[in-house]
Amino acid sequence: MIEKFSQDFYQNFIEDDRWKYIVDGLGNTIKITFFAVLVGILLGFLVAVVRSTYEKTGKLKLLDLLCKVYLTVIRGTPVLIQLMIIYFVVFGSVRIDKVLVSVLAFGINSGAYVAEIFRGGIMSIDNGQFEAGRSLGFSYPQTMFYIIMPQAFKNVLPALGNEFIVLLKETSVAGYIAVQDLTKGADIIRSRTYSAFMPLMAAAVIYLVMVMIFTYFVQRLERRLRNSDH
Amino acid sequence: MTTDHTQGHPGTYDPVGEEALRGMWDRKPLIQVQRLRKCFDEIEVLKDISVDIHKGDVVCVIGPSGSGKSTFLRCLNRLEEPTDGKIFFEGIDITDPKTDIDLHRQKMGMVFQQFNLFPHMTIMKNLTIAPMKLQGRSRSEAEGQAKRLLERVGLADRAESYPSQLSGGQKQRIAIVRALCMNPDVMLFDEPTSALDPEMVGEVLNVMRDLAKEKMTMVVVTHEMGFAREVASRVMFMDDGYFLEENAPEEFFSNPKNERLKNFLGKVL
Repeated sequence: MIEKFSQDFYQNFIEDDRWKYIVDGLGNTIKITFFAVLVGILLGFLVAVVRSTYEKTGKLKLLDLLCKVYLTVIRGTPVLIQLMIIYFVVFGSVRIDKVLVSVLAFGINSGAYVAEIFRGGIMSIDNGQFEAGRSLGFSYPQTMFYIIMPQAFKNVLPALGNEFIVLLKETSVAGYIAVQDLTKGADIIRSRTYSAFMPLMAAAVIYLVMVMIFTYFVQRLERRLRNSDH
Repeated sequence: MTTDHTQGHPGTYDPVGEEALRGMWDRKPLIQVQRLRKCFDEIEVLKDISVDIHKGDVVCVIGPSGSGKSTFLRCLNRLEEPTDGKIFFEGIDITDPKTDIDLHRQKMGMVFQQFNLFPHMTIMKNLTIAPMKLQGRSRSEAEGQAKRLLERVGLADRAESYPSQLSGGQKQRIAIVRALCMNPDVMLFDEPTSALDPEMVGEVLNVMRDLAKEKMTMVVVTHEMGFAREVASRVMFMDDGYFLEENAPEEFFSNPKNERLKNFLGKVL
């Protein structure tokens, strides 16, 4: 049985340097996730600021409407469809790096969820905090930046961490536009060796380990931020 | 020769001397409220309020809950947007949309019923963030002033604590200090002792009493009749969106004229 296992292992990872599919795929998965997270945070932050400003002051009505359309469309359709629309329709007639397309698609998708997380965080801060800031003479943006955001960020950190775990795993559909990510790499090995167990298990374990490492760091950050609560 | 000139420019001539001129300036109200109205949707909370508040005044506003006291106070620094009427602060119409209200709010300290300290900052940071960010003061200068004021309210040893580590009375004293750190010209108190346990009311009132002694201009919405009677220079009774009676505290409490005020005092005293 051990013989069978090592033979499988050899065939799937060592022969013809097949491990490279896994490593290259992992590289792309990390690249896509990392930059998509950045796009998502930036987009989500902007949308959340617009929407909470509208809710608090009634200003930015038109932008708020635009944001609502964005949220409805993105959250109302599958990310895979969005990815394919961006690749085959929006950039259908131009040659463009597929990893870049994936970053855009997953970033725009994640931004919608991050926006609602941030907005929830901002609205959850007691209005008294806002009034205290304004009464000292801080402008609306200053109050947001110095007083509301730091507290909101601390509150939404668990939800935000969760969103990025989801995002990391969602990138596994990038293979649909022929990006060789971790999942696709494992699948290519499977199609070469006709053995499914080894490559798919390898991919699963790598996803799992990445999520565990990430969770560890989020929890540490949470604990550090919680210090002021006592 | 001087008289010839002055006839044409009565405003620029000062026949008595600078002192008198400054005296005249002092007699001009620090805050002047003219025909203020405030509606929340259909409900008219403030109906035609006109008040002058002078430098050094300690004005206590009392009245039943829901009478509009807090709304009146919050209109003074435009935390509530007045529906109608004008408010002049140091001669400037702050209800004018062109006025930079943030600038004037720096001169109007406010203390809230719920303290509203910033929970993610130490006490020192709570006290110094506004002076440093808004008035461009250096950290050492801002911290120096904060320490002196903390000393005065007896909380010098809590500078590095977080708000959640303090009692209600301590929080409120810190909130007062936070407002004072901006060197305001007037302090607005919105029921500062209403959220406190009874044994902590005294420590907060003491701080306010000291402030009044130092001639700080104060507008205090309160249910503390004893404090109003002892410290106020004027007491005003608000009910149903109007100021129904105002007087010096002695007269106000011992010889009320308005029927509703008599009724109210009968319930609370």
